[in-house]
Amino acid sequence: MFSPTKQGGMPEWTQLWRSLMKGEFHSVKVVKILHQVGLPVIGMLVFVMIWHLGAQRIDTSLGVFPGPLEVAEQGQNLYAEHVAERGKEAGFYQRQEVRVAERVLVDPGYKPVLRDYTGSATFFDQILTSLATVMSGFLLASLIAVPLGIVIGLSSSMHAAINPLIQIFKPVSPLAWLPLVTMLVSAIYTSDDPMVAKSFVTSMLTVSLCSLWPTLINTSVGVTSVSQDLVNVSRVLRLGWWSHVIKIVLPSALPMIFTGLRLSLGIAWMVLIAAEMLAQNPGLGKFVWDEFQNGSSQSLGRIMVAVFAIGFIGFLLDRAMLSLQRWLVWDKQSAQR
Amino acid sequence: MKMSYTCMRSVLIKCMFFSVITMVGNASAEVGYAEKAELKIGFIKLTDMAPLAIAYEKGYFEDEGLYVTLEAQANWKVLLDRVIDGQLDGAHMLAGQPLGATIGFGTQAHIITALSMDLNGNGITVSNAVWEEMKKHVPMQDGKPVHPIKADALKPVIEKYRAEGKPFNLGMVFPVSTHNYELRYWLAAGGIHPGFYAPEKGDTSGQLQSDVLLSVTPPPQMPSTMEAGTIYGYCVGEPWNQQAVFKGIGVPVITDYEIWKDNPEKVFGVSSEWAEKNPNTHIRVVKAMIRAAQWLDENNNANRPEAVKILAKPNYVGADEEVIANSMTGTFEYEKGDTRSVPDFNVFFRRNATYPYYSDAIWYLTQMRRWGQISEAKPDSWYMDIAMKVYRPDIYAVAANELIAEGKVKRKDFPDFASETGFKPPQTEFIDGVIYDGTQPNVYLEKLTIGLKSTDQL
Amino acid sequence: MKAILELSKVGITFDTPRGPFEAIKEVDLKIAEGEFISLIGHSGCGKSTVLNIVAGLLQATNGGAILDGKEVYQPGPERAVVFQNHSLLPWLTAYENVEIAVRQVFKGKKSKAEMRDWIEHNLALVHMTHAQHKRPDEISGGMKQRVGIARALAMQPRVLLMDEPFGALDALTRAHLQDSLMDIHRQLGSTVIMITHDVDEAVLLSDRIVMMTNGPSATVGEVLDITLPRPRDRLALADDPAYNRCRQRVLQFLYEKQRKVQPIPMSSDSAKSSMAVQNFG
Repeated sequence: MFSPTKQGGMPEWTQLWRSLMKGEFHSVKVVKILHQVGLPVIGMLVFVMIWHLGAQRIDTSLGVFPGPLEVAEQGQNLYAEHVAERGKEAGFYQRQEVRVAERVLVDPGYKPVLRDYTGSATFFDQILTSLATVMSGFLLASLIAVPLGIVIGLSSSMHAAINPLIQIFKPVSPLAWLPLVTMLVSAIYTSDDPMVAKSFVTSMLTVSLCSLWPTLINTSVGVTSVSQDLVNVSRVLRLGWWSHVIKIVLPSALPMIFTGLRLSLGIAWMVLIAAEMLAQNPGLGKFVWDEFQNGSSQSLGRIMVAVFAIGFIGFLLDRAMLSLQRWLVWDKQSAQR
Repeated sequence: MKMSYTCMRSVLIKCMFFSVITMVGNASAEVGYAEKAELKIGFIKLTDMAPLAIAYEKGYFEDEGLYVTLEAQANWKVLLDRVIDGQLDGAHMLAGQPLGATIGFGTQAHIITALSMDLNGNGITVSNAVWEEMKKHVPMQDGKPVHPIKADALKPVIEKYRAEGKPFNLGMVFPVSTHNYELRYWLAAGGIHPGFYAPEKGDTSGQLQSDVLLSVTPPPQMPSTMEAGTIYGYCVGEPWNQQAVFKGIGVPVITDYEIWKDNPEKVFGVSSEWAEKNPNTHIRVVKAMIRAAQWLDENNNANRPEAVKILAKPNYVGADEEVIANSMTGTFEYEKGDTRSVPDFNVFFRRNATYPYYSDAIWYLTQMRRWGQISEAKPDSWYMDIAMKVYRPDIYAVAANELIAEGKVKRKDFPDFASETGFKPPQTEFIDGVIYDGTQPNVYLEKLTIGLKSTDQL
Repeated sequence: MKAILELSKVGITFDTPRGPFEAIKEVDLKIAEGEFISLIGHSGCGKSTVLNIVAGLLQATNGGAILDGKEVYQPGPERAVVFQNHSLLPWLTAYENVEIAVRQVFKGKKSKAEMRDWIEHNLALVHMTHAQHKRPDEISGGMKQRVGIARALAMQPRVLLMDEPFGALDALTRAHLQDSLMDIHRQLGSTVIMITHDVDEAVLLSDRIVMMTNGPSATVGEVLDITLPRPRDRLALADDPAYNRCRQRVLQFLYEKQRKVQPIPMSSDSAKSSMAVQNFG
C-alpha cells in the first residue's frame, strides 16, 4: 500500500524530505522517513542478499545462476552493445551515401532512396519496439472497449446480447489467439510495401484482443452505476442521447473506466511479452527467447536484465496511467492507490 | 527524428552527386540493379547460417546494393511459412524444404534454390545414460572408441529400453530436414527401423513400423529437451552437439561427414514467385553469399576464428565462442576430452559446395520416397523434373560468372558451367557402402535394405 | 383563480413481484400561478410519486397532470426539479452545474454573454457568487442545495418542484435556506410545489398545504389554506395564534387522523428505483 497523498498530489515522503532539507527536524518525521524510505530499501537489500547467496548454489547447464553482480555486468554489456551498434549504424549510412552517389552518376534516372539501418536491434531498440507495440495495441483496445462498454452499459438488450461473448472470450490466453491472428493478418493484410510490418500488426492485435476486456467490463459497469439522480437531472434537462453520454455518463463512469484501463494496460504488457516470444515478433519477448535459444554462458544474466526491465517498465506504465487518471478524473479518491 | 536525419542525408547525397566524379565507371554490372533493395532474410540459429552473417558483416550485400536485415526464426516451420507468405524474402533452409514444399509434403508452395550454403555440419548426440550402455558395444582402440560408430552399437540399447517398456525417443529438427534423413540412414544402416510416413492415410508422424520414435524439436532446444529427458538423443547442426558436451549432458557419437561424406546441408531458398518478380535481386543475393562462402573457406579456413567471433554475437547464433569454435575451426569433441580433428566438418565453398547439384536434390527425393513421405512409386523422369523445378544452377551460373568478371572469385573454383550436367559422379562414401547414382533413383532405392522400394505401398 | 397546473384523478399502479401495487389514486389538485404548495404526509405515502408524475419522471396510470393546458408526459425544464440530495454533477463547479442547464434551455435564445450574466444572476440569487468556481466536494451541504436551487431557477420553470429540498440539512442551515427560498419566491413569484414532512416548514412557506393520507392508494386527505400575510418572519410567527392554529391542524391530520399503523410494503424510494429500471435499465 502506498501512503495517502496530500491535496497537491505530492507524496508525503517528498514533503518530509523537503522539510528535512530546510532543516526542520522532528523526531516523528525521522521515524516516518525511516518507515517510508528505509523499509523499502531494507527490503531491496534483503532480496539482493538472498538472490546473491541463492544464485551461487544453483548450477544450471549454462553455468551458475547469475547473481546481482553478473546481471549488473550484463546490463552494462547490453548498453555497450547498444553504443557499438549505433556506431555501426553511422558507418552504414556513410557507406550508403557513397554508394547512392555512385549510382546516381551512372544511372541518372535513379531517384536516391535512403534505406533504414538493417543492423540487429539492441536491447534498447527492443524496449522501444515493445513500448510502441503495447501502446498501439492498448490504444486500439481502448478505442473499441470504451465506446462498446458505454453502449452495453446504457442498453440492457445490448448487455444481454454481448455479455456471453465477453465472458467466453475474456479468459482466452494470448497463446490461443496468436495463431489465428497470425493467419488472419497474413490473409488480410497484404501489401507489397506495407506501412508497418506484419509482425507488428500481429502482436498489436493480439495485445488488443487480450487487453480490451477489463476496460470493456469496467466501462459498462461504470455506466450502469451512474447515479439515478444524475440521470433524472439529464431527463429534466431533456439532454439528447449524445449529450447525455458526453456530459453525464462519461464523466460519471470515468473513474471506473480508468480502473479498467489500468488493468488493461497491465495485461497488455504481460501479453505482449508472451506474444513476442511466441510469434517471434520484435521486442523484449523476442529478446528473452533469443537469449534462451542462444544458451551462452551470458544468456541467463541477460535474461535477468530483461526481467528487471520488463518489471520496471510495467511499473512505470501503471504509474503513468495513475498520473493520467489523477489529472483527468474528478474523483481523486478513485485514484488513490 | 528519423525524418530530419533522412532529409539531411539526402541533401548530402545531392552534394556528392557533383563532387564524386572519380567513381564513375567502376560499376559495370551486366545484371541490372536490384528490383528490391531492402530484404529481410530469415535464419535458424545454427553455425551454417554463417554465409548470411558474413555477407552482411563484410558488406557483400551492400556491395550488391542490397540492404538486408537478418532475422532469427523460431523453428523451420515458421521460417518456411514466412517465406511463403512474403514476410521473409528468402531464408537459410534445409535442403529438403524447397523440395518438400514443392511436391506438397507439409506446406505446399513452389520454393526454389540457386545456392547450396554448405556441406556437412551435423552430428548425432545421445544422452550420457544411453552412451554408457552403448559404449559397451563399441569397438575400442587405445581406450578410445573406433570411429565411425555405427548404429549397431545402439541397437541393443534400444532393445533393452523396449523390453523395459520405454519408447526410445529421438529428436530431429524437421520432417524434411537433412537431420531426419541422416538419422534414419544411420539407424537403418545399423538395422534399426526408424519408421514410415503415410501422408496418404493422414499419418505424418513418421513412426509406422518403427523401432524408435522420431519427433521434431527446434535445433536450439535440442540440448534442453534432452536434458529434460523427453528425448534420448538427437540429430542436429552445430553448435547444438558441442553444446551438449559443454553442458555435460550428452555425447555426440557420429558426424554426418561420416554417414555420407560431403553431404549437402542447407540451401538459400526463396519462393518461385519472388524469384520471378526479383530476378536481379536474386542473382545479387547469390553473388554476395558466394563471396561470403569463399571468405569462410579462404586460405585453409584462416578466417574461421573471425567468423566464430561474429557468429557468437547474440543476434546470430549467440552460443559461447568456444562452443562454436570447436566445429567451425575443424575440431569436434566427442566424449568430454575426446577431441578429434574434422577439418571438413563445415565446408562452405571448396569442392563446389555452393553449387546446387541436381543429384543432391534427387538424393533427398529418394529418401522422401524411402520413408513414405512420397506415397507412391515415381519414374526416374519425375525425380529429374522436380529437381530441375527446384534447383536452379542457371541462376547460380549467372551470379558466379558476374563475380568472375568482376574479379572477385576465380574461375577455377567453379564447375565448367558449359559442360556441367548437375550430376555428381556416383558417390561411394556412405557409411553402409551403398553407391548412389543420381541419374538412377529407382535403382538406388532397390539397393537400400530398410525402406520402401520402387513399387512398395504402405 | 386561474389554474396553471391541474392534476385530475391521478393514480399510479406499479407492477411488483408480489403483484400490482396501487401507490396513489384519484389525486385532484389545482394550483394557481405564483402559488406555493406543500405536500405533506408520512413517509411512504406517495408524496414523491405525485411530484415525479408532475415532473414527468413517472407516468400516471390513471388521469394526468395538465400544465398550461397541455398534458405532461415527459420531463422538461419548464418543471425544474430540486432533488433532495442536490444531484449536482460532481465533476463540475457550481457555475458549470448551472451552466449545463442554461446552455440546454437557452440554446439559440441567449448569447454567450447573456448566458453568463444569467448564470451569475441565479447564483447571486442563492448567495453563491463567492463559491461559484468550487466543485460540490469543496462546499457544504447547504451550499450544494443552494446551487441545486440556482440550477432549477436558471431553467426559468413554470413550476418549481422541490423534493424535500432541505431534508438532509441541519436545523440552522435549513432555516437559512427557508428564508432564502421565501425571498426568492417573493422576488420571482414562482409557482412552487414542495414536498416536506416538516410541519413548521410547510406552514411557514406555503400558501396551501396538501395533506396526504397513508398509502397504499394514498390520496389527498385535506387541503389547508395558510392565509398568514407575507413577508413572514419566523420569530414573530412563533407566538402568532393563526400560525399555531395552522400548525395544529396539520399535526392533527398527521398524528390523529392518519396515524401510521402499519409498515407500507413499498417505500417511495423503491418506487423511484423501479421507475429507473423501466426507463434506463
